[in-house]
Amino acid sequence: MRSLLERLKGFVRSRSIHVTVVNTGGCNGCDIEILACYTYRYDLEQYGIYYHNNPRKSDVLIVTGPVTYQWREKLKRLYRKVPEPKAVVAVGACACSGGIFNQNGGRVCGPVREVIPVDAEVPGCPPRPEEIVSAIVEVVPRLFRSWESRRGEADGAEA
Amino acid sequence: MERRRKGEGNVRVVDVETGEEVPISHKVPIGPNHPILKEPLRIKLAVRGEEVVDCKVEMGYCHRGIEKIMEGMPWQKAAFLAERVCGICSHAHNMCFVGGVERVAEGEPAPRGLFLRVLVQELDRIQSHLIANAAYFYSIEHETMFVWNMNTRERVLDCIEEITGNRILTGWNVVGGVRVDVTEEQLERVLETLEEVREDVKTYRRIAQTDPLIKLRSRGVGVITREHVRRYRVVGPQARASGVPESDMRLQEPVYPELGFKPVSRRRGDNLARILLRYDECLQSIDLIERIVDELPEGEHRRELEIRGGHVDNRVEAPRGELVYDMEISPGGVVRRVTIRTPSVPNIRVLEAIAPGCPSIADAVATYASLDPCVACNERFVVVDERRGKVLYEGRAREVIRACSRTT
Repeated sequence: MRSLLERLKGFVRSRSIHVTVVNTGGCNGCDIEILACYTYRYDLEQYGIYYHNNPRKSDVLIVTGPVTYQWREKLKRLYRKVPEPKAVVAVGACACSGGIFNQNGGRVCGPVREVIPVDAEVPGCPPRPEEIVSAIVEVVPRLFRSWESRRGEADGAEA
Repeated sequence: MERRRKGEGNVRVVDVETGEEVPISHKVPIGPNHPILKEPLRIKLAVRGEEVVDCKVEMGYCHRGIEKIMEGMPWQKAAFLAERVCGICSHAHNMCFVGGVERVAEGEPAPRGLFLRVLVQELDRIQSHLIANAAYFYSIEHETMFVWNMNTRERVLDCIEEITGNRILTGWNVVGGVRVDVTEEQLERVLETLEEVREDVKTYRRIAQTDPLIKLRSRGVGVITREHVRRYRVVGPQARASGVPESDMRLQEPVYPELGFKPVSRRRGDNLARILLRYDECLQSIDLIERIVDELPEGEHRRELEIRGGHVDNRVEAPRGELVYDMEISPGGVVRRVTIRTPSVPNIRVLEAIAPGCPSIADAVATYASLDPCVACNERFVVVDERRGKVLYEGRAREVIRACSRTT
């Protein structure tokens, strides 16, 4: 049973989301499709989602591209910089599976979920802006709304 | 005043004329993740107060080994991989690869296919230039122009989707022509949309020319001289904005001479000249597309070609400049070795020469954005020792290929 304060916190958090986009070695296609989400046609900002790109002040990390060896440690460090509660959305086929680069000869260390925990994956090469917008709008507020109660469970389990 | 760096690791700046060491107050690293950078890259600035004294660019975050993956692939698969070298100028990569394979094949590709290929290439150029200018306006905090440019770009992407079926990575070129034919109605719809795009681009060019705030931030900042062009091999719109129109590789491509193509150029070479030149080229591309639609030859859009194999060196004018694919193809169309040289490598390197004249750090970042950098394009020439995290080879493609074959 959640208290009123917890529910209020969850509601407020789910209505104001700051986003950081990280390209961990992709081909740019997904990045410009995320950028296209900010045009009038798709308009991500009408849902209270703001493109910020400062990991220390953001709630959501959008990762595009397969994780290259140069990015593996840096991505972990970047993930630690994002304050709780946080969510990670992997956008594109490369971020979901390593994609076309994850084959013989490719210098990538696989999908994003093997490096940092991932909450949502958007497949496609590149996914259309509608799909990216719907993924963020569906998944992310749900995560933040229930975070207060989940935090209590996690603390209890540790104790 | 020309300055050069001395020493390997430390940033020590020595004035060439007087031989004295220039005092610096701070080193400012920008990246690999930074609001202004679409892609990972690190710029190390040495500053004295606000004045930028020295600049060093560090690349290598996007290295995926595309050239190595491509070895031993049939062209049907390698064309898709070539497209994914860069997402913004993807069509140019695809076209350059497929054109290279066609040059070692028996017979001629279908003329209608070649014209359609150029049509999509010009549409791709418009959207790439618009996103480059949008990134520049975002870097000088002019968000209205950023959003306007991006909105117009959506219309151009609609045209690309109308013809090819996808917005960004189209997979449109095949050896011998293009994948699907277009109808008259599709071309009419494209021309209608482009008519509106032309009005928009003219408005943006007028605003960029007359707006006092844009002029304050852009006029006279980050000047690339002809000397820089010669020394760093700057290519593409960046070179043409400095008065080098002959750097346009479209003069040597097959279809463009039939269309009466003449490159545009400007002389000043600063940030504003580069922005305006991209708008000029957008308008020129729209004219070219109209001429292509008028002169589109009838007949088949694709022919079956037999690939003999051999060594080929193909050049295409990508939106950012000259793109080179140096390939060895075996009979039947299997790629044996490929070396890609993308235009962004020299275009980013020239930042090390022009950033030290910038009056402030913000101008250095804006200059970087005005060079239309595409990091995903660059990063194949670097071999990194992963245990020590050190860059072993950088720059020479053939050496790197040899080193890659040794390490894997």
